[in-house]
Amino acid sequence: MSIHRTDWLGALVVLAALALVPAILGSTYVTGIMTVALCFAMWAASWDFMSGLTGRENFGHSLFIGAGAYTAGFLNVNFGASPWWSLAASPLVAVAFSLVIGFPTLRLRGPYFALAMLSGAAVMQSLTIIFSEYTGGQDGLNGLFPFFDSELAQYYLTLFFLAATVATLRLVANSPWGTILRAIRGDEASCQAAGINVTFYKIASLMISAAFAGLGGALYAHYQLQVGPDLFAIILSINIIIMVYVGGMGSIYGPVGGAILLILLTEALRAFSEYRLWVYTLILMLILFFLPQGLVAPLWRRLRTIVQ
Amino acid sequence: MAEILVYGAVISAIYAMLAVGFTLIFGVARILNLAHGSFYALGAYGVYALTADAHLPLFLAAPVAVLLVALFGVAVERVLVRPLRRSTLAVLMITLAVALMVEQVLLLIFGSEARNVPSMVNATFHVMGADVSGQRLLALSGAIVILSGLWFFMQRTRLGSAILAISQDAEAAQYMGIPSDRIYSLVMGLSAGIAAAAGVLVAPFQTVIPGMGLLPLVKAFAIVVVGGLGSIVGSIVGALLLGYTETIIAFKISIEWSQIVSVAAVLITLILRPAGFFGKRAAF
Repeated sequence: MSIHRTDWLGALVVLAALALVPAILGSTYVTGIMTVALCFAMWAASWDFMSGLTGRENFGHSLFIGAGAYTAGFLNVNFGASPWWSLAASPLVAVAFSLVIGFPTLRLRGPYFALAMLSGAAVMQSLTIIFSEYTGGQDGLNGLFPFFDSELAQYYLTLFFLAATVATLRLVANSPWGTILRAIRGDEASCQAAGINVTFYKIASLMISAAFAGLGGALYAHYQLQVGPDLFAIILSINIIIMVYVGGMGSIYGPVGGAILLILLTEALRAFSEYRLWVYTLILMLILFFLPQGLVAPLWRRLRTIVQ
Repeated sequence: MAEILVYGAVISAIYAMLAVGFTLIFGVARILNLAHGSFYALGAYGVYALTADAHLPLFLAAPVAVLLVALFGVAVERVLVRPLRRSTLAVLMITLAVALMVEQVLLLIFGSEARNVPSMVNATFHVMGADVSGQRLLALSGAIVILSGLWFFMQRTRLGSAILAISQDAEAAQYMGIPSDRIYSLVMGLSAGIAAAAGVLVAPFQTVIPGMGLLPLVKAFAIVVVGGLGSIVGSIVGALLLGYTETIIAFKISIEWSQIVSVAAVLITLILRPAGFFGKRAAF
């Protein structure tokens, strides 16, 4: 699982291509879609870091996204703080949420964790409705400020944070840390027998995952200039999981490709927008049956052997 | 007070029907079925389509809808779950895909607006000083009949013993000649049928919308965690606990808050007693 020189090269090529997208296609429309796609890529990569490596599927990733986005909303709309504060505060709040929910649930085996996270996100969504005098209820919080006035600058800011996220997560995944996380996926009992504090590693990886999800939430909020209860929705977590499956679980870079691919596909199918979830579901079924390793990560591995 | 007692009993009974099926298929086949809520929604829509579109009489439509959903459950297990059973994650994802698919199909066919299903009993009854619609009482008695039937089936019949044997030790049961694959299909059908029956019984007094299966799924999960995953007795006790707590909060505070109870119950149970109150005792 070590990082080859070719991997760095590939990453640079992709980064350059993403940086050139607005220059080539030039329309603010495409730039806008790509900004959203990069946010999803960030969420998918952060999901993959915890769930892909340790094999504990998190069905409530939107909990951290929503927590980050609403933090940005409260700071910006209610307290008039500058958007830049969100970049620090949102990850912190998301980490706090991960601690609260991680401690009781992560000691447990897979299925409990998956459904407990799902319930956690569902509760937060109904709490935003209950406390609608503070959260704006169904309408959410409106009138957030953007980081920059220009769409292009927003896009590059998001791209910068995505690159930083993927690089960080990938480096950690390749360190002894990542090895331990993968070992936990393999056999938790043996890890415990080897003296590894399994709970600590699982909670720490959930915290890291939550921090980047919250950061992505803040970037998304200050791009959409609005946050709403849909950011806690279970369907958002599910979309992210499908993106990871398309990309290839446990590779971090694969989900980034999966997210961009699916968002672009969604846009291409805009005319059939009511069939969007159909397409997602169908893709998920096909992947489960025919490509259990996903699409993006195996493609890159094949390409790499050719290049080398 | 009387209202809380009666309404709580009705809600608990519905929850028990949902939770029992959810825990049954997990206890026997280790399938964590995210499509369980869809069976409930399909039951409600099935009875709606059979009465409003196919003009069947209500008392014929109800069992037909339950039977069709049970067959659908068997088909899901056969075609989609069985080839993937090696991996727990893949099973989780495929049942999720089924849940999404069902919701989309319902949305395409029936649209997003709520549908009305006529009541099977129109009379209103006076029970212990509270006015209760006959449909709610029918739901309560239907649930009691179905759950006792299930208990009898599990405890007193050969097939029930086979299911229990598989849940205790699938490998040993297989060596004894119990066809585990067929049992898994059967249990999936059974659990789908019970969930559909719950959907049929509540359809007249619940909003019937394509996404109606999600909340019951979360509730069933909460009950099953509180009661212990895989324990039928536990899920019935859990259903009573959750049903009454929710009703009390809905009457004393607000309906919105009552929705939070289930999840709070999950978190508290997971902290205090991760195995649930009746878990860790083999499967049942």
